[in-house]
Amino acid sequence: MKDLFNLAGKNELGRRAFIERAAQLSLGVGVAGMLPAVASAAAGKTDTGKAKSMIYIYLSGGMTHLDTFDPKDNSTVMGPSEAISTNVDGLRLGNHFTGLAKHADKLAIINSMTSTNGAHEVAQYMNRTGYAKRATIVHPTLGPFAEELLGKRGKILPDSVVVGQSTSNAGYLDPSRSPLPIADPAGGVPNSIIQTDESRFERRMEMAQGLGKKFADKYKYASAQSYVEYYKQANKLLKSDDLEAFDISQEANGEKYGSGRLGQGCLLAKRLVENGVRVIEVVAGGFDMHIGLDNALQGRIPALDKALTALIEDLEAAGLLDSTLIAVNTDFGRTPTINMNAGRDHYPAAYSTMLAGGGIVGGQVYGSTDKMGKKVKNDPVEPADFIATIGYAMGIDLDETIYSPTRRPFTFANKGKPVMKLVS
Amino acid sequence: MNIRYLGKMAQFGMMVALSLCLLPSLQARVWTSKDGKKLNAAFVALDGDKVELRLNNGNTVKVPLDRLIKADSEAAKRFNGVGDNSLTKAAAKRIDGMLAKNLKKAGVKGFNEALPDDLFVRRVYLDIIGRIPTREEFMKFAESSRPDKREGLIDELLTHPGYSSHMFNYFADMFRLTGKMGEGGGRRAEPYINWWQEQLENNTPYDQIVTNMITAKGNIGKNPASGFLLRDAGMEFDAFANFSQVFLGIDISCAQCHDHPFADWTQMDFFRMAAFFGNTQRIAGRGMMGGMMGKKGGNKTQELVAYAKKNGVPTDNRQLAYNFYRYLDFIGWDVEDKENLETQLPHDFRGSGGKPGAVVKPRTLLGGAAKKGGKTRREALADWMTSADNPRFAMVIANRMWDRAFGKPLIGPVTDFEKDSICGQPQVLAFVTSEMKRVNYDLREFMRILYNTRAYQGLATAEEPATTKAYLFAGPVLRRMKPEQAWDSLMLLASGPKIDEVKGRDGSFLRSVLTIDFEKESVEDIFAKYQAYDANFRRLGDIVVSEPGELQGSAPSVPKMGRVEMIRASQMVQPAPAASLLDTFGQSDRLVTDEHSLDGSVPQVLALMNGGVTERLTGSSSKVVQDLEVLDAPDDKVRGIFFTMLSRYPSDDELKLGMKMMEDFGDEGVSDLAWALMNSPEFLFVQ
Repeated sequence: MKDLFNLAGKNELGRRAFIERAAQLSLGVGVAGMLPAVASAAAGKTDTGKAKSMIYIYLSGGMTHLDTFDPKDNSTVMGPSEAISTNVDGLRLGNHFTGLAKHADKLAIINSMTSTNGAHEVAQYMNRTGYAKRATIVHPTLGPFAEELLGKRGKILPDSVVVGQSTSNAGYLDPSRSPLPIADPAGGVPNSIIQTDESRFERRMEMAQGLGKKFADKYKYASAQSYVEYYKQANKLLKSDDLEAFDISQEANGEKYGSGRLGQGCLLAKRLVENGVRVIEVVAGGFDMHIGLDNALQGRIPALDKALTALIEDLEAAGLLDSTLIAVNTDFGRTPTINMNAGRDHYPAAYSTMLAGGGIVGGQVYGSTDKMGKKVKNDPVEPADFIATIGYAMGIDLDETIYSPTRRPFTFANKGKPVMKLVS
Repeated sequence: MNIRYLGKMAQFGMMVALSLCLLPSLQARVWTSKDGKKLNAAFVALDGDKVELRLNNGNTVKVPLDRLIKADSEAAKRFNGVGDNSLTKAAAKRIDGMLAKNLKKAGVKGFNEALPDDLFVRRVYLDIIGRIPTREEFMKFAESSRPDKREGLIDELLTHPGYSSHMFNYFADMFRLTGKMGEGGGRRAEPYINWWQEQLENNTPYDQIVTNMITAKGNIGKNPASGFLLRDAGMEFDAFANFSQVFLGIDISCAQCHDHPFADWTQMDFFRMAAFFGNTQRIAGRGMMGGMMGKKGGNKTQELVAYAKKNGVPTDNRQLAYNFYRYLDFIGWDVEDKENLETQLPHDFRGSGGKPGAVVKPRTLLGGAAKKGGKTRREALADWMTSADNPRFAMVIANRMWDRAFGKPLIGPVTDFEKDSICGQPQVLAFVTSEMKRVNYDLREFMRILYNTRAYQGLATAEEPATTKAYLFAGPVLRRMKPEQAWDSLMLLASGPKIDEVKGRDGSFLRSVLTIDFEKESVEDIFAKYQAYDANFRRLGDIVVSEPGELQGSAPSVPKMGRVEMIRASQMVQPAPAASLLDTFGQSDRLVTDEHSLDGSVPQVLALMNGGVTERLTGSSSKVVQDLEVLDAPDDKVRGIFFTMLSRYPSDDELKLGMKMMEDFGDEGVSDLAWALMNSPEFLFVQ
């Protein structure tokens, strides 16, 4: 029985034949919508926005606004941090942003973000979907929603990828729209080499799909249906050369992004943009700085600076910055008062986010907080407004309504108002 | 070696096992006497003030109850009720009666069709011990003609070591257990994790577990339960928001900053309740590094630093100095009550009932004042939490346990339900809450009730229930395996049932070096503990594998897949590393309560198609390979592979398909069938 799950017989010729066959198969084989209530409103649409791709860098834990995008003069408030000047007169950044300081002319900084979500889970949910977390429905993140409205773009590659987490879903949308999760950017798409020869693999897949179909017919559950879909997608991806889009080891200057997950995630995002992927969400943790702010900042912010700087520079060099929107978002800000553990606690009343690239007017700071960074003074922006601004730059019709399988109406960014001063 | 002969032997062994299982029997566990002696034996019966135990060699001994530590003498008394389950049956019947009435009222003809034997056996193995059954376990049940075999199997599994393992995974997710805690994950929490494992192995009543966690004092060595409060040191209010979700089923986190927009909670309620922890200081000994350990150890710390410098911790050796200060810091990472501490309203307090900066006195959220009477605030809180004055504590855990069995809670979400939340079965909710109290929070007894209901023993409802309507519980819902169930089942296929016996990390070494009595121990003694800590510094949290019957043995050579040991999820590092298979299947990263994911993904199915686990199923220790070796006839092989992978009989078509595969491709065809079964979505679901 040594031959069980035969591992021999991986061969490149077989792989080539697969690719050709997959190409033939994919002609006319659309991804059938499994949830019929979600009408495919997207048929025939194309991306008309300036931002053809969007990289959504999500800093989980709640990035401190005072030490990064909204530095103050008051040293009590600033604690271990101070402000530095940039290549834009009057635009100042926290002292760890030495790289970004050279590209401030490309950044649109929002220092008047405000929300009422002070706990991580609800804040993350709101910031990644535009909707409040509810017990009765799961909302899609921005990638699947954009795909629903703008139409599927990639033939084999997914339209959205989420880097830095192991699982994902498409909310109430068809599971085929789920972002492809890449847990470790350095690992690419793991297990993507077929372990047997072609005919045997086909035989196995055919059998598995036959058995799977019986099961999925028996149970009308989205989760059971979704597995049928994931097997289909995996089967297609396995036979495709496009897999190389996920291989960051092919990048010559990868080290300038930094070696951590955040930097490597941004590098992968750049590569995926080059390959036409529409939305790449890069999720990175470590920003929940309750204890020892000084150390915590040194551990995270220079890495963020390095990754963002490299991303902006590389996209610009490749001529892709004008068509790629980079967005930085986070759970909430952090308290102006430094706590007894020399850290900062959660602070949703005022915080900062950033936009750059495709469709964005750089070199500006939008909105402001008071001298302590405690209250928003002017032009408040709520999470849904931030997401609406992104949607606008991507050419999404913010009024277009789609319906969940339970016939509930939804729009991209939940009626948030785009900030028109930020977009070109 | 004659393989066929071995197969016959295995069958004979099964028959013996079958007859033994007619006796009410409990698995062996460790019994500890007051003077610290340990005995590995199974409970037989209670005889007056003695407990009769069966040793591994089959002999029985009688041990006076008063020689055992309290937890074990209580365990003996609890085990005595096992087997006499007339009350269990009555309760299960009552639940069925209430559900049936509501189904009828709603015009549904009744419960889902009863599970056939094969689907039943797979479901209870997954639900109770967290993995699929082996082919032998499946056949033993399928071939038994005992009329009460379902009840018998439920009883057997509830005392199987897998029961506590599977229960641990549930609580690890709920209580966000992590092996590394503190700033940058610099401290190890194995003692706390071991403590949780022990509570579940001993079936400690849930209210006692919670009381111990809420009232714990000291560091994780002296009192491992303090890990609960240390988990969130540095973010006390967030810790309280979690506390409220987990124990009261109330998500009050928004009231931290403003009055709750929908529910009745005000910002003031939040702080009054949080004030029960107002004089609790976490990391109380934190100042130790600066030599300000407070009353208890202040001078000792200074002395220790001086002694250390004199005896081998040169301050110019950065690594040694670092380890030394880390050790002191670790000792000081503890929970204490300080009389002079109070909760103050935050500077931006906007609610009514107090001004920013004002001191808040503790008051419970749901009425009924906590009585102090000479107790600390936390003791008063624990009393109130588990008392009749608190209508939510028993309800929350009963509702959670119901959710575990049926795949859907009676009222949801379990962390945040209100009077107007959708609940189609208020009488059932009230009844199971009262049952939780009747069984004194014995979760094993409680689960026994649910598993014995007709509602549970029906087919999974074929259509996904709408989230907007109350579910009537005609049966459980279809569930994807929890990440740990998927992993443990794959491990079973790769290595066989011996995975049930492997114990993971042992925190006892850490406990010994962190337990220090500053009043009594000399500087020399403490320094010796530091040296032991330092010598083992790099090995902290290393795996210790115990074979059955052996309390501790050092065998760190566990087979690995990538960076992950091939043992049960409950015994692995908590949580499993990012991008490991467990993570890919959605194991919680333990940041937020109940955070596991049951979503599928392309990488997940790729792992089953081409991954290391598939590769492992080809090895000589693979259960799949071994099962096939004892089978000869082609139809037996095909059936066998269905038993091994899916624990069910193949349909006629499936049998034909399998036979055809064998005819055309021989053994290769059988392995293709096994591959296909693992890669049909059915494998990952609990029907």
